[in-house]
Amino acid sequence: MSTTTTTPRSDSRIRTFQHAWLLLALVAVVTVALVRVVTGADQLTATGTLRAMILSACPILLAALGGLWAERAGVVNIGLEGQMLLGTWGAAFLAYHAGPYAGVLGAAAMGLLGALLHAVATVTFGVDHIVSGVAVNIIGLGAIGFLAKAYFNDLEGGGPRNLSGYQTLPRVTVPGVSDGAAWLADRHVFGISDVAALVAAATTGVSLLTVLVVVLVAASAYILWRTPFGLRLRSCGEAPEAAETLGVNVIRYKYVAVLVSGALAGLGGAYLTMVSSSSFTVGQTNGTGYIGLAAMIFGNWRPGGIVTASLMFGYTDGVSLLPSGGIVVHALLLLITLVLAALALWRLRQGNLRSALTIGVIAVAVLVWYLSTDSVPRAFVGMTPYVITLFVLAVASQRLRMPAADGKPYRKGQAG
Amino acid sequence: MRRLSTFAAAGITASALLLTACGTNADTSSDEGSASASSGGSGDLKVALAYDVGGRGDKSFNDAAYAGLQEAKKAAEFESTEGEASTDEDEATRENRLRGFADDGYNVVVGVGFAYSESVNAVAPDYPDVNFAIIDGFDPDEEENANVAYLTFAEEQGSFLVGAAAALQTESDQIGFVGGVNNALIQKFEAGYVAGAKEVNPDIDVAVTYLEETDVSGFNAPDDGQAAATAMYDDGADIVYHASGASGAGVFDAATQADKFAIGVDSDQWQSASAEQKPHIMTSMLKRVDVATKDFIASVESGSPQTGYTTFDLKADGVGYSTSGDLLTADTISQLDGFKQQIVDGDIKVPTAP
Repeated sequence: MSTTTTTPRSDSRIRTFQHAWLLLALVAVVTVALVRVVTGADQLTATGTLRAMILSACPILLAALGGLWAERAGVVNIGLEGQMLLGTWGAAFLAYHAGPYAGVLGAAAMGLLGALLHAVATVTFGVDHIVSGVAVNIIGLGAIGFLAKAYFNDLEGGGPRNLSGYQTLPRVTVPGVSDGAAWLADRHVFGISDVAALVAAATTGVSLLTVLVVVLVAASAYILWRTPFGLRLRSCGEAPEAAETLGVNVIRYKYVAVLVSGALAGLGGAYLTMVSSSSFTVGQTNGTGYIGLAAMIFGNWRPGGIVTASLMFGYTDGVSLLPSGGIVVHALLLLITLVLAALALWRLRQGNLRSALTIGVIAVAVLVWYLSTDSVPRAFVGMTPYVITLFVLAVASQRLRMPAADGKPYRKGQAG
Repeated sequence: MRRLSTFAAAGITASALLLTACGTNADTSSDEGSASASSGGSGDLKVALAYDVGGRGDKSFNDAAYAGLQEAKKAAEFESTEGEASTDEDEATRENRLRGFADDGYNVVVGVGFAYSESVNAVAPDYPDVNFAIIDGFDPDEEENANVAYLTFAEEQGSFLVGAAAALQTESDQIGFVGGVNNALIQKFEAGYVAGAKEVNPDIDVAVTYLEETDVSGFNAPDDGQAAATAMYDDGADIVYHASGASGAGVFDAATQADKFAIGVDSDQWQSASAEQKPHIMTSMLKRVDVATKDFIASVESGSPQTGYTTFDLKADGVGYSTSGDLLTADTISQLDGFKQQIVDGDIKVPTAP
C-alpha cells in the first residue's frame, strides 16, 4: 500500500487511494443496507449475527496471524491446528488451577511447545515443512487426549475427555455506547442501523481476550512492517541467502517467527476454551487451524487481508448457526450477485471480455437462484463458509503472492 | 502460482492424512479398563460401557449412563470398564471397540447412543453369549438380534413438558431450541418442544436451529452452542432449550451472559452446573438413561436379560422434567402435571417429527 516513487503524479494517486478505502467502506455499507432492505432479512446485520461473527472470527484470526508470522519468515506452519489443540488444554489446565490469566499464558506456552517441535524439525534439521506440520497436528491431538485423561479425569467438573468449572476472563461493556448503539440498531434505519449494530456487537460483553486479539493484530502489523526487526524477519521469507550475506541470523529469526506463530495459535485455543465456551473438550478446534491457514492465504499474507478474510469466514460460520440462517444466506445470494456484477463490469473495463462474460454468467445464475427461491436449504447453509472460500480463492488467486522463499528448507551458509 | 497450488494440494493431502490418523487413534482410548475397573467382583458379571461423542463428563447424556452404572454397582459387585469415542471415528472403530470388550470377557456391553446401532448389529451375532444394549438404538435390518436390547425413550413427551414450561414462563413470547445434529432423534426433541409451547400459546415464536446437519461434532462444540444461543437471546428470546450433549455448556454460558434462561437435557443439568450458571437453568428435560442402564444390568444379573425394544415414556417415568433450583413457579408445575396426565391418558398425542 505504500509505493514510494517520487513523481507528483503517483503522490496524488496515493491520496486518492486512501480516499478510495473510505469510499469502498461507504459503498459496502450502502450495498449491504440496500440488500437488507430489499430482501427484508433484518438478521443480515442484526447485533446477534455480528456477535456470532466476532466469536467465530477471533480464533480463526489468531491462527491466521500465527500463520502470517511463520510464513513471512519462510516456514509453512501446517501445524497450527495441533498448536491450537495444545493451547486448548494448556488454557483449561492452568485456568482451573491458577485462574484465567494463567490460563491465557498456559495456552500460549503450550502452543509455543508445539511450535518449538516444528521449528527444531524444519529450521534446524531441514525436514519438509508439510510433513513436520502434519506430525505436529497428530502429536497435538494425541497429546491432549492423553493429558486430559491423565489430569482431568479425577477433577470435579472433569472427565476423561473434558473439563469445566474453571473461571473465564472478565467481559467488558462500554457504558453508554453499547446501549445507544443497540437502540439505534433496533430502529432499522437505512445504513445507520447496520453500522450501529456492528458498534453494539463490538462494545457489549466483549471478553478481554477479544481486546487482546485486536491489540495483537495491530502489534503484528507494526512489528512486521514498520520495524527493522520485522524487515529482517520478512527478508528471511523472501530471500534468506541475501539476508544472510547482509548479516542477518536467518536461523534465529526463523526460530523466533515460528515460536511466536505457535504462541498465537495457542492463544486461539485459549479463545475456544475460555471465550467461545467455558469448557474444554478434546478436539474442540474442529479444523479452525486449517481455516486460519486458508484465511491467511486468502488474505494475501497481509494483516489487513487476513482480518477481512477471518471476519468473512466468521460471518458465514456464525450465520450457519442461526435459526434464520436459510433466509440470511438467501439474502447473501443477492449480495453475491451485486459483487459479481461489479466485478464483471470492472473486468470489462480492463478489456478482459472472456473473464467478464464468465463472471457475468455466474452472476445471472445466482440471481436466478435468488429470485426463484425463498430460502436456502439447511444443508447448504452449513456449507456456506467452504463454498465462499472456494469461490473467493478462484476469483482472487491470480492476485495472491506468497513470500518468495516460503516453505523452502534453508541451511546456514547456503548463500556460499 | 504453480507453487501455491502445489502447496494447497499438499495441505489437503496433509489434512486427509490427519483425519485418517484421528480415526485409528480412537480405539486406543477404549482400553481404559485398569483405571476405572473396580476389582473384587464376586459374580461373573462384567460390564462395559461404550460412550458416544462428548464422553463421560459431558454432564448430560453420557454422564446419565455413567450414573446408571454407578447405581447398579451399589446393588451388586461387578467389574466394569468404559470406552470413549472421538468425534470423527468410523463404523470400524466402533465395531473394534465392541469386539474388544467382548473378547476381553465382558458379558454386558452397553452402547451409549444411536451411533452404536450399526456396529452392535454387526458384532452381536458373533458373540451370542454377550448381552448387548443400545441406548436410543434401533435395529438397522429386519431381524432383531436375540441378544440385543434396544432402549428407547419418548423424548418428545418430556420435551413437550419443558416446551409448555417455557411458554408459561416466557416474558417475551419468544423462545428457542438448539439441536446438536439435525437427525431424526434430535428432531423428536424439537417436535415435542414446539408442540408443548404451542399447546400453551399458539402464537408463540419458537426459533429452531441445529449446529450441524450430519456431523456428530455438533454434540461436542460448546463454542457453536454459545454462538447460536447468543444470537437467539440477542434476537429477543428469553428461554432456550438445548438437545446438543456437551455443546449445551455453551448454551448455559450464553444464558448466563445474557441474564436469560436455558433448559437442560437428559440429566438434571442444574446439579452439575457452575454457581454462575445455576440461576439460569430453569429446568431440565430428564431422560432416564441412568434408569435404563441400571435396569438392563440388573436384568442380566437376575438371569433374565432384557432383549428387543423397550420404550421409556412418561407413563413409566422414563422421561420427565426437573425442578432443581426452584425456578419453575408453583402454577407452572401444577399446569405441567395436568399436561403430563393428559399425555399419559392419551388425550394429547405428541408428534415425533417437526
